[in-house]
Amino acid sequence: MAKTEELMFATEAQIDEYTDQLPEIATDKYLIFSSDGLMYGIKAELVKDINTDYNITYLPRVPNYVRGVINLRGQIVPIVDIRLRLGKPPRDSFCCVVVNVDGNEVGILVDMVEQMVDVPLDTILPVPTNSGQAMVSGMCTLPDGHTMLELDCELLLHD
Amino acid sequence: MGDSILDMYLYETNTLLEQLDGILLAAEEADTFSEDSVNEIFRIMHTIKGSSAMMEFSSLMTVAHRIEDLFFLIREKGMDVVPEQTRPALFDMLFQAVDFFRGEIEKVENDEPLSQSIDHIVNKINSLIDKIKGNPESPAATPAAPAASEAPAPAAAPAEMTAVNQAYLFGVHVFFDEGSGMENLRAFMLTNSIKDYCSDFVCVPENAETDPATSDIIADQGFQIWFRTAEDRDMAMPAVKNGGSVREYQAVEAAKPAPAGEPAPVESSQSAKEAAPAPAKEAASKAAPTPAAGQQHAKESLISVNLSKLDQLLAVVSEIVITESMVTSSPDLRGLRLDNFTKSARDLRKLTDDLQDVSMSLRMVPVSGTFQKMNRIVRDMSKKLGKRAKLTLIGEDTEVDKTIVDAIGDPIMHIVRNSMDHGLEENEADRVAVGKDPVGEVILSARHTGSEVIIEIKDDGQGVDTQAVLNKAIRQGLASPDHEYSQKEILNFLMMPGFSTNTEVTEYSGRGVGMDVVKKNVADVGGTVSITSEWGKGMTTTLKIPLTMAIMDGMEVSVGDSMFTIPINSIQSSLKVSAKDVIHDPAQGEMVKIRDNFYPIIRAKELFCMEQGCDNIEEGILMWVESGEHSYCLFVDELLGEQQIVVKPLPSYINSFNVKNFGITGCSILGDGSISIILDVINVYTAAHNIY
Repeated sequence: MAKTEELMFATEAQIDEYTDQLPEIATDKYLIFSSDGLMYGIKAELVKDINTDYNITYLPRVPNYVRGVINLRGQIVPIVDIRLRLGKPPRDSFCCVVVNVDGNEVGILVDMVEQMVDVPLDTILPVPTNSGQAMVSGMCTLPDGHTMLELDCELLLHD
Repeated sequence: MGDSILDMYLYETNTLLEQLDGILLAAEEADTFSEDSVNEIFRIMHTIKGSSAMMEFSSLMTVAHRIEDLFFLIREKGMDVVPEQTRPALFDMLFQAVDFFRGEIEKVENDEPLSQSIDHIVNKINSLIDKIKGNPESPAATPAAPAASEAPAPAAAPAEMTAVNQAYLFGVHVFFDEGSGMENLRAFMLTNSIKDYCSDFVCVPENAETDPATSDIIADQGFQIWFRTAEDRDMAMPAVKNGGSVREYQAVEAAKPAPAGEPAPVESSQSAKEAAPAPAKEAASKAAPTPAAGQQHAKESLISVNLSKLDQLLAVVSEIVITESMVTSSPDLRGLRLDNFTKSARDLRKLTDDLQDVSMSLRMVPVSGTFQKMNRIVRDMSKKLGKRAKLTLIGEDTEVDKTIVDAIGDPIMHIVRNSMDHGLEENEADRVAVGKDPVGEVILSARHTGSEVIIEIKDDGQGVDTQAVLNKAIRQGLASPDHEYSQKEILNFLMMPGFSTNTEVTEYSGRGVGMDVVKKNVADVGGTVSITSEWGKGMTTTLKIPLTMAIMDGMEVSVGDSMFTIPINSIQSSLKVSAKDVIHDPAQGEMVKIRDNFYPIIRAKELFCMEQGCDNIEEGILMWVESGEHSYCLFVDELLGEQQIVVKPLPSYINSFNVKNFGITGCSILGDGSISIILDVINVYTAAHNIY
């Protein structure tokens, strides 16, 4: 009996020790990619796939920023060119980030995928004016000094 | 967690209600419950009571509880405890209860509050229970018939009837097959054959052979034949037994006003012993198989699987099939001689083919569930409209894709209602006058033809008055008055939006949202609707639906480096034309003459704003396609070949751009992993028309 008690106390103490070591800072993993010189971030949990080897099938009668569809392991995934979507000049982008927006998988054509970072939630600040970058829901400064714009995927799909 | 319990509850209760509906319909047909169905209903009510109590749906629980009580009585004492005259009330009450349950379940599904006013239905059940309980003099409850007090009769003693003539006390009560028609003549034939055995008897109704109006009475209340003595009756029994269309007969005895002094009662009860078990057995054997057939499918499906999981499985399997062909025809293998590999690859191909077949078959369900529901609709409407009608089901076992079964339920229901409401003649006399069976018939049939399932809804009613339809179409501006229309074209007006020939709006149909909705729903699952009718003979509505939406035969064509799939069943032929065959019209339109008809040319490259592709009509190929009323030629670069494809719906994001209106309905993944766009022939035409 006494032994059990001892053990229980010991466990509790260990837990305290454990939590002490990790201060509670809520962070989210973000995938950083660049497009037209700007750094964008998407929550990593939304990212399903990063693909450089794909074959876009042209789809007629859709806005020009919808480049077509690809076959991603048997699933038909539409491809949105973020440059065209934001009204920037087109460029041959070859990296496609497939994200899940509200259950719909959509591929986003970006210039380059940079890195994954842990971003503390409280460092993400609101966009000061809404006249600035469109489709951005927040921004934060990364450890390397760059500024990340958090991409609002829903706005990307629906105006 | 809570949701999954609720899902289970809804699924289980719905299944039970469907089962119950089937049992009730079969029982009403036989006008009695077999022992099995009583037990079954008791069990169903018990389950609904229990699970509703668990989910705290008290109104459902209360009603189920009372019905359970009622069937407890019937189970204990046998069906005879319910007197003939209260049986219709019993059946009506049960059908109402099923509707009540359905309504409540729907409310649960939609998250609406349940109704609290269940008093009327509970009262109905209570009064029925009282009637049954307060019926101690019923033959089954008391062991002896009052008249034969000194000779205790078995439980199934002859039922009490009022004799028409005090001298004729030994009767036979005969019922003819429901819907056999011309009951009076059948009765007359029966009396004729009885005359071979014994000539001294009276009948109720008396003037059956001369008065056709008695037909209904006989159909409703049966035909009674009264004999002087029990011996006479026994002698005549074989005639009754072998009589045509006799559904049920029962020996009956009139209550005797005189004190029982004669030996007759003893004999009568003996004769009754012989006679009575026969109808009982007959009724039981009749009632038993029908509910069993209804339950067949409920028992077949041993587990229930979420449909989305099956979709997932199908997606994975089609992926495996594609990957398999990518592996075995990989360019890396070219020029190598790999005997073992080739053999294994062949085995793999066979297995993946099997796998595909099996996973396809998982989604196939028989149409019987949808068909059985129509029984109920025909029953309800024939009561309400006062038209007698029977529903004949053919090929209920035909299997189609689950999504299609779900989609065709409403259209079929609508057509059946139309047939009942407008198709069948208002008066039975009209039917008899043209030599038809007074009882109308609606035939619902399903059958396979290769890649399609054909569902026919056929009635033997008055048919479509094409002149009236045309007049109405002209009034509504759908048709032009100085144009000759073929019968087929006129019938097509029935399926135009807003068209309803009925001037009155009835409870069931006539709101003008009718056949056009049917057509749309069926078109949504890739099917077509056609109507044929012959004035005076009835109308047939035919639904042609692809077996499964997931797979179809298509023709691959290319434009530039894009590939398109045209459904093979809409292709008439393909043809090469030279530039001089093309006829131009003032509006820059192009046409081509094929077999004495001009057809417009639609260039896929221009319609789809593509950069690559042939412009010269002599380099490409024309696909002559037809669907519905439209027929035209689609100009493409090249014909790649026929292929069976797995249809994949477009992502919803793409659909939000309304590409469907440009004839793009879906896509499919070809063997090499590339994507081909599936075209919808009708929408390509309308899109091209709107642009030019």
